[in-house]
Amino acid sequence: MAAFLDVAGAEKRFGSTTVLGGVDLAVARGEFISLLGPSGCGKTTLLRMVAGLLAPDRGRIVLDGRDLTTTPPHRRDVSVVFQSYALFPHLTVAENVAFGLKARRRPAAEVAATVARFLGLVQMAGFADRPIRALSGGQQQRVAVARALAVQPKVMLLDEPFSALDRKLRETMQIDLKRLLRELGTTSVFVTHDQDEALTMSDRIAVMNRGAIEQFADPVTIYRRPATAFALGFVGLSSRFDGTVTASEGGIITVATPAGSLRAPGRFLPGSPVVLGIRPERMALGDGADGPDRNGLDATLVEVAFQGARAHLYLAVGGGTVVTVEAPEVPAGAAPGAPVRLSFAVADMLAYPADPDPALLAAAA
Amino acid sequence: MRRRIDPVALLALPAAAYLLFAYGWPLAALLVRSVHGPGGFSLAPFAAFLSDPFSWRVIGNTLSTAGLTTLVCLAVGYPAALALAWSRGIVQVVLLLSIILPLSVGVVVKAYAWQIVLRRDGIVSQALVGLGLWSEPQRLLFTETGLVIGAANVFLPFMILPIYSVIRLLDPRLRAAAATLGATPLHRFLRVTLPLTLPGIVSGIAFVFSLAVSMYVVPSLVIGDRYQTLATLTGRAFLFMRNEELGSTTAVLLLAMAVSIVVGSTALARRLGSTG
Ligand SMILES: Nc1ncnc2c1ncn2[C@@H]1O[C@H](COP(=O)(O)OP(=O)(O)O)[C@@H](O)[C@H]1O
Ligand SMILES: [Mg+2]
Repeated sequence: MAAFLDVAGAEKRFGSTTVLGGVDLAVARGEFISLLGPSGCGKTTLLRMVAGLLAPDRGRIVLDGRDLTTTPPHRRDVSVVFQSYALFPHLTVAENVAFGLKARRRPAAEVAATVARFLGLVQMAGFADRPIRALSGGQQQRVAVARALAVQPKVMLLDEPFSALDRKLRETMQIDLKRLLRELGTTSVFVTHDQDEALTMSDRIAVMNRGAIEQFADPVTIYRRPATAFALGFVGLSSRFDGTVTASEGGIITVATPAGSLRAPGRFLPGSPVVLGIRPERMALGDGADGPDRNGLDATLVEVAFQGARAHLYLAVGGGTVVTVEAPEVPAGAAPGAPVRLSFAVADMLAYPADPDPALLAAAA
Repeated sequence: MRRRIDPVALLALPAAAYLLFAYGWPLAALLVRSVHGPGGFSLAPFAAFLSDPFSWRVIGNTLSTAGLTTLVCLAVGYPAALALAWSRGIVQVVLLLSIILPLSVGVVVKAYAWQIVLRRDGIVSQALVGLGLWSEPQRLLFTETGLVIGAANVFLPFMILPIYSVIRLLDPRLRAAAATLGATPLHRFLRVTLPLTLPGIVSGIAFVFSLAVSMYVVPSLVIGDRYQTLATLTGRAFLFMRNEELGSTTAVLLLAMAVSIVVGSTALARRLGSTG
C-alpha cells in the first residue's frame, strides 16, 4: 500500500550541523502518528519541511500521490497548529477560523457555516466575536485547532500543542483532540517530547533521536519491544545494566555487569559491549524463585515512592546501579536499607549493542 | 476612583523639566504674544492673517509640501523597512547604516548635493528624459517637486525607523501560519503584515508630517523666498521683517497643525495597537 504522506530521505543541515539525516516516514491515510523525541532532535524541523516552511537539502515529500518537495506552503493543503498557536492578534476568534477559508475564496455563506461548525466542534461557539487576547491558553489552543481544521487539510501537523497547558487541562484536551481528529478522519502528525502524550494518543509513534527515526511502530510495540537502547530509555521507565557478553548460546547471552551476571535473549558475540534493560513491572521482589529461566540479584532498598494505584521501589544493586521495581503496593516492613532479593525472567530482558563511545567515534572520523 | 501617579513616571522628570524651560516657556510667551495686542486680548491678528488670500496660499503650500513629502516617504520607506526587518547578516547591517548614516550629514551639505542632482543637466532630469517621461531637460531646483524630493531625502529615516521597529517585533510564525492556511504572499501581506504594522505607519506619518510641515532650512535652501510656507514665513517675520505679531500668528497656526497631527495619530496608533 502506498503511503498517504511519504517523506523519503529528508535531510537538513544548518551550517555544519546535520539536523535531519535522511529521515523516512510513511503515514497512512487517516492515521494519527506522533514524532516523539527529546528537545532539539529535529521534530519541528521535520514538521516545517512537511508544511513547506523549510526546504529539505535532500529527499522528497509526497502527499496523496503528489510530489510536494518544491511546492510552496499555501498550495500544499497541510495545516499547522504551532507551538505558540500563532493566532492573528488583530482578528477575532471567528475571523481567525475564517482566515484560511477566505484565503481560498470560499463564498461568504459557506465561510460562516464552516466557521460556526468548527467553533462548535472545539466547544468555542460562544466566543466567536472575542478578541484573541481575551482567551485563556486552552481556549487559544482550541481556536488554533479549529482554524487549522476548518480548511479541511489533507494533513494536520501539530507542534507540541499542549506544552503550555497545565497537566489536568492537557489530559482532557488530548482526549478531545484525538476524538475530533478521528471523527473527521484527518491524517495527523503530532510532535511531542512527552512520552505519555504519545502513548495515549497515537496510532503509531516515531521515536526520534539526533535527527533520525530510531523506531516507528504502534505504542504497544514501542513499549514492549523498543528497537534501540535510546527508545527503551526514552519511552517508559526501565532499569539499565551496561556489560560485556561472556557467553552466547541458543539465543541466550550471559552478560557480566557491575550488578552481577545476568542473562538475556539475544545474539551477540562474546566480548561485545551490550546494554541490558528491563521494565519495572517485570521485576519482582522474591525469595528463591531463581531458576534456569530467571535472573536473581541481591539488592538494598533505597527509597519507596508511593503513587496511589501502585508503588515504585528504588533498589541499589551491585556496582552502584539503582533499579526501579513496580509493586502493586508498598511491601509490609519496607524500610530504606532493608536487604531484598530481586527476581525477573530472562525472557523479559531486552538487549542492545552498547552505544558507540562518542570519543571513539570522533577518533574514527 | 483616584489614580495614583506611577512612580516610574518620575523617570521622565528631567526631560519634562528641560522641556518646560527650553521649550514650554518660550512657547507660552509666543502664544500670549499672538493674542495679546497693544489693546489687550485680541484675535485680530488671526482674523487679519486669515482674511488675506496670500496667507491661504502659504497654508496651502505648507500642507501640500508636507503631505507630498509624507506620501513619498511612506511609498519609499515602507518597502525599505520590510527589507531592513527581513534581511539578515551583512545585508541588514549595510541597509541599516545606509538609513542611519545620512542623518549625520547636515542639511546644508545635502542641499549642495541636490543642487548638482536637481539641475537642468542633473541626473534626475536626464533620467526622466532618458525614460521618455520628459521631452526635454528641466530644472528641478527652485520648484516644489525639488522641494519634496529634498525634504523626503531628509525625513525618510523618520518614516523607516518606526515602521521597521514594528515589523521587527512581528512574530514570523504569523506569516507562516497564514501561508499554511492557503494565503498567497499578497494575501499574507494585505491581511497580516500590513494591518499589524499600521501602528508603525501611523507613527512614521506623524513624525514625517510634523517635521515637514515645520521645515525651514530645506525650503530656504532649495527654493528660496519665492515659495513661502508657514515656517519660512514665520522665520521671515521674526528675522527680516521684525513683525512679531505676524510671526507669532503663523507660529501658532503651525503649532496647532503639528499638535493635531501628533495627538490624532497617537490616539489612532493606540487604538490600532490595542488590537494589534
Ligand atoms: N534556523 C535554524 N538555524 C540553525 N539551527 C537550527 C535552526 N532551526 C533549528 N535548528 C537546530 O536544529 C536542531 C533541531 O531543532 P528542532 O527541529 O527545533 O528540534 P525539536 O523540535 O525536536 O526540539 C536544534 O539543535 C536547533 O538548534
Ligand atoms: Mg520543537
